Amino acid sequence: MVLHISSALTASALHPLLCFCFHNTYPEMENASGLHRQLASMKKNLFDQGYLDEQFYQLEELQDESSPNFVEEVVTLFFRDSSRSMANIDEALQQCPRDFHRLDKFLHRLKGSASSIGAAKMKNECTRLREFCSEENLDGCLRSFQKVKNDHTILRQKLENYLQLLRQVGPVDRASRSGS
Amino acid sequence: MNERMDPAPTSSGKATASSSSGPPDAAAGGGMPTEFPAGLRVLLVDDDATCLKIIEMMLRKCHYDVTTCSCAATALSMLRERKGWFDLVLSDVYMPDMDGFKLLERIGLEMDLPVIMMSADDHKDVVMKGVTHGAVDYLIKPVRIEPLKNIWQHVVRKKRFELKELEHSGSLEENERESERHKRAMEEGDNATSGCGENLKNIKRKKEGKEEDEQDVDEQADPSQTKKPRVVWSSELHQQFVTAVNQLGIDKAVPKKILELMKVAGLTRENVASHLQKYRLYLRRLSVPQHQDRLDGPFTSAQEATFRSVGTVDGFDLQALAVSGQLLPQNLSALSSGSRRVTNTGLRMPVFDQMGFLNSGNASSTRSASVQQMNRGLGYFSGFSNSMESRQLGQSHQLVEPYGNMCLQVGEEISGLLNLPSPQTTRSSLPGGISNEQVNRSLIMHRSQQGQQFSLSQQHENFHGQPFPRGQIFNGIGGHDSRLSSKFGHQISPNDISSHISGRTANIAQTPMPGNHISASYSSVPQALYANNIHDSCLTESAASHYPLASSIGDTPTTGNVEALSNTSSLKGVTDLSNCNIYSELRQNKTQDWKLETVNISYQSGQNLAPKQNNADFGSSLVAHQDSIATIQDESSRNTCTVRKEILSVTTEIEHEKIECVAQCNSTILVENSIRLKSESMPDIKHQEVLYDNIISNDLMDVGKQQQEGIGQDDPEFFDAYSLENIPM
Repeated sequence: MVLHISSALTASALHPLLCFCFHNTYPEMENASGLHRQLASMKKNLFDQGYLDEQFYQLEELQDESSPNFVEEVVTLFFRDSSRSMANIDEALQQCPRDFHRLDKFLHRLKGSASSIGAAKMKNECTRLREFCSEENLDGCLRSFQKVKNDHTILRQKLENYLQLLRQVGPVDRASRSGS
Repeated sequence: MNERMDPAPTSSGKATASSSSGPPDAAAGGGMPTEFPAGLRVLLVDDDATCLKIIEMMLRKCHYDVTTCSCAATALSMLRERKGWFDLVLSDVYMPDMDGFKLLERIGLEMDLPVIMMSADDHKDVVMKGVTHGAVDYLIKPVRIEPLKNIWQHVVRKKRFELKELEHSGSLEENERESERHKRAMEEGDNATSGCGENLKNIKRKKEGKEEDEQDVDEQADPSQTKKPRVVWSSELHQQFVTAVNQLGIDKAVPKKILELMKVAGLTRENVASHLQKYRLYLRRLSVPQHQDRLDGPFTSAQEATFRSVGTVDGFDLQALAVSGQLLPQNLSALSSGSRRVTNTGLRMPVFDQMGFLNSGNASSTRSASVQQMNRGLGYFSGFSNSMESRQLGQSHQLVEPYGNMCLQVGEEISGLLNLPSPQTTRSSLPGGISNEQVNRSLIMHRSQQGQQFSLSQQHENFHGQPFPRGQIFNGIGGHDSRLSSKFGHQISPNDISSHISGRTANIAQTPMPGNHISASYSSVPQALYANNIHDSCLTESAASHYPLASSIGDTPTTGNVEALSNTSSLKGVTDLSNCNIYSELRQNKTQDWKLETVNISYQSGQNLAPKQNNADFGSSLVAHQDSIATIQDESSRNTCTVRKEILSVTTEIEHEKIECVAQCNSTILVENSIRLKSESMPDIKHQEVLYDNIISNDLMDVGKQQQEGIGQDDPEFFDAYSLENIPM
């Protein structure tokens, strides 16, 4: 917090200069820097809390002029797919008799997607869930899956916020965003 | 979801640099970009959309030319369609429709492309499995971009390895031989092969010299200079190989001895060794039943397009089939001949002619006659008739040949026939060229093994217990046909074979008719068809695609030919017809030794040789039923005779129809039942359909031809799978 404030102060102090340097024709520059910071902190938060890992950086690296919304597209795709996967898993866990083999297939796939976008918490929980599944520990599976669902929901929310902010910040900040 | 990216270099977002440098060659294997590895053509297969998108983007960033696919079946068909287009394949391990390792194997055998596996699973045993199945690399998800930047090394390494092999074998001679073969292939209408081969060679050379910025133009002009082309396992060569292996006994076959027996100048022990390895894998696969159901179907169709597989596969399968006796001799012959170069449209016709011939005759003599006719007609298979002659199959060989050409879906069919009663059928239906191929191949291989062992007796009943004196007509598919047939001929003593085949067929088709089984295998063994009344079951099975005719062939010796014809008809549709015919024949003559081995005969149509319907069915079934190979099983009820006739007409139709017409033909292919055209996998399904429709209308042949031509491209692959040349670069 403190850090932010001070940086805010610094930023504001430097603001005119910055604007000047960056051909601050953008009126939203000032806002942008604020947003930028916000974005940065949000991101940092996600990483610190373990929701995201470095794979996410890989995604960001892939984004460029020719595919300016890559990260957003991928994240959206992921949540859409994973929701479906999770519904399948849910169903598989409900049905009697439990088909652990089939369940494992779903889990494997979910884990793969999660790891591809860098959803660390989800991935780890999926791994645990798979272990329960291989032991055919239904109870363990159910508990673990619940955690996966929670992680999924939280991550979704956080990433949505992040992406929203990202959109606001605009392309100008993309470069700096990565840096900060 | 199948997301297909336009492979044209220009279409890929990032790979602009590479695409601009080399004008894409639409025919086969596009131009080689000058800034290697930029423009490397990668096929990405992953069922997870998120991963697919991410990795695709990463590959684009590496300036590769990416084509994506979320389904293994589609991937295989794409690979078969565009022979020589892709340089590398990146595939996920766990996919819903097919096991990634299976895909890996297939690709390795058919196209010989480097394959990199990916998975979130990092357990050692899984990674080990990847390695043992031949993956050149294994990446753990989440995949980062860094390792992707280096995947081109696998392509280069592979090519260098192949070149080295060539060097060892007396490069100059080999080069000459290669170019000769190419030329021959070209002359024979094997456009695809030669084109592809040439292209590959050029590409390969280009790749090799990429670093040095060689001129593409020069290389293309002079195929035999500089880099030594890798060994192209043409059907003749393969036939020789299989002969040698069978002579020695599959267990005792060592590269050195095989090499000695083959007496092929310029061939090295290494070439033989690697080929043997593949062959073994193929045989092993043949003995695994039912797996291929799914796969085969789609693949078979793909196969069709690429008869290439037919060629090689045929060779293999037929042999294998023949050997194992699974294939009805007739089938085998039919298959082999048909499949071999179905793509060579030219062949088709002859086959059909032969078929007619077959119909007329019924004894082996007739068969042989027809076969011979077919052979003649086919011209293509000139090689193999000789060997065949010597063997019992002799006659059948001839028949087979034509069939072989008929794009026997050798692999599939045969395998279908041979191994699985039912699964095989599906396999045989191999609509996709590839699947057939594979099946065929495996069948053949398997067969050959079997043949050696003569497990025929067990299968005996399947084959209607046909004594099938004819022996193994397994004329190997296409080129192999002769080899195969001969091989089989030996291997499968008529009775044995038939039983063997029948046994197989039983598996395959589980149809009442042994012939049915054969159908599956017959792709490779058109002969088998002839020889016996075709174990209908066999025939139908493999024939599904091939044999509409086959079924008919089954009945009489001639039927065998028919099958061959049908089998060979790479016409997607046609093959079915032939198969059908064969089946019918098979059915009738239990004794048919369908050495369907010719399964390779890429009868695309899943030869469903619905024995039953034989003729009528073919038309429709072929197309429609790509996967109706099973239908062939019905054969028993069908009379092969009728089938035959129809087949003939069909084949002719098919031939004429040629793909263009095919469209119209609409799948009325007679082979309703057996032709299991795996429509989905077959890229030319519509061709098939058309073909089949015509079956009755006698355009089948035409169509088949057309298809073949259209598909043509793939044809060369037959051996490509085995030949290293295929590395599309």
